[in-house]
Amino acid sequence: MDKKTVLFEKHADLTGKAQIVPFAGWFMPLWYRSIAAEHSAVRKTAGIFDCTHMAVLKVIDKDAANFLNAIATNEISMLSPGKAQYSYLLTPTGNIIDDIIIYYIDVDNFMVVANASNEQKVKDWFSKVSTEKIGIDKNWQYKVIDLKDSTLPDAKVDIALQGPASVQCIKNIFGVDVSTLKPLNFIQLKDKGFDLIISRTGYTGAKISFEIFVHPLKAAELWDLLLEKGKDLGVIPCGLGSRDSLRIEAGLPLYGHELAGYFNISPFQAGYGWAVKLNKKNFIGKDVAVKQSQNFDTEVARLKIIGGKGVRPIRQFDGILIDGRCIGYVLSCAGVNDVQIALALIEKKYNNNEQQIGVYYLARNQGHIQQGRKDKAVIGEKLDADIKGLVVERFEKF
Amino acid sequence: MKIMLPQNFYYTKDHEWAAIEDDVATVGITDYAQHSLGEITYIELPSAKKHLKAHDILAVVESSKAASDVYSPLAGAVFATNDELASRPELVNNDCYNDGWICKIKLSGTPDVKNLMTAAQYEAYLKKI
Repeated sequence: MDKKTVLFEKHADLTGKAQIVPFAGWFMPLWYRSIAAEHSAVRKTAGIFDCTHMAVLKVIDKDAANFLNAIATNEISMLSPGKAQYSYLLTPTGNIIDDIIIYYIDVDNFMVVANASNEQKVKDWFSKVSTEKIGIDKNWQYKVIDLKDSTLPDAKVDIALQGPASVQCIKNIFGVDVSTLKPLNFIQLKDKGFDLIISRTGYTGAKISFEIFVHPLKAAELWDLLLEKGKDLGVIPCGLGSRDSLRIEAGLPLYGHELAGYFNISPFQAGYGWAVKLNKKNFIGKDVAVKQSQNFDTEVARLKIIGGKGVRPIRQFDGILIDGRCIGYVLSCAGVNDVQIALALIEKKYNNNEQQIGVYYLARNQGHIQQGRKDKAVIGEKLDADIKGLVVERFEKF
Repeated sequence: MKIMLPQNFYYTKDHEWAAIEDDVATVGITDYAQHSLGEITYIELPSAKKHLKAHDILAVVESSKAASDVYSPLAGAVFATNDELASRPELVNNDCYNDGWICKIKLSGTPDVKNLMTAAQYEAYLKKI
């Protein structure tokens, strides 16, 4: 049974039940007003997102840093209090368990934020590593705690505030100026009965973007405050739909699509090799990661394709063609204004700016198959392009 | 959110509507369906003269999130399509029961409405899902 987040009642008040859908085990809003309006708000003013379904863990005690450095691919020693880092958890065979952000709160206190869809897998992995002492020293002292547990005084869940008006919105509520906070840096703030972590992080590509970690029992109050004090600034609630179109436009990967998933895409193929520190003495999965880093023929590319009203949207697994030959597959796609932005897995040699590509629409239903349309494209196969596009820079510059 | 339901129309479990006048049914998708799909960006219209059994695929309505098949509520032959939707699919979002109609079907024989719902029945059905 899908669970309701601590903000469920807010969504039910703000939108119709048709727009609240099961996602990663939670009932989540797909949109409130419209995906396009919410996308545009994040680019021009700001939007808030319910991310309280995301996993938030705390790793404490004297060997917390050693433990995290052994299980995560990035280098913990590059962190200091108030800094956060993007990283991966790998299996010993090099498969991605999840992509995470690690927040250095203190020398013996770290917060780890993981995908909602991978919450149980991450927790199970942490226990397995600890019980079976996989890649860790048996004498290390550390403890992993579920920070979403609302009985904890320092419990935390995530609400994202993304877009240029975010700074003023936070100022309106707490009188604090976060404009000088650098990307991946965070502050702790105790005010108005809130005990917050405000970090300059996000998943929309917005330059000015924050995630606010708040006690689950105070989340609804903060949600209301953000909307009330942000109203005149154009701050609106945003759902999963715009979260997806924003992250696709920005070029950010989603676990299961541009990372791991059907094609088992590695961090190197996704364009995030920098978050896997191969010069680190050891981390779980390092041997395979070294090989992955040296040898891959396909990688994630960002494509710009004709779009707008009246154009059939491109979907996952549609074929990417060059000169009528299939060289890759669509992983994710979103309509943004009058174009479609897609992330695709394509042969590396074609992942060059301005490279012209075509897209083959797979059959959308049985009728299409009867008319001779394929329901699966095969690399190397000759296909006729239904629509044209270009490879663009891997990440959008806003 | 209020779902609009014209009283004299027939409805299906897949959220199509049919307005029957003599031997012609005008067909579209319901307000509930257009709300669920979100911003509709593309509609594949049926070819004219296409003969359909009840529940054959009539059209495909696509938003950024989903491609949804539209099934024919009744048996008959398509004799008119709303070609305006090719360039203005948003008409289905804005006015699904009027300007957003999808096609007109010339019914074969007496309309077989026993598998369709009245507005009251459809309203009750929506409450359950």
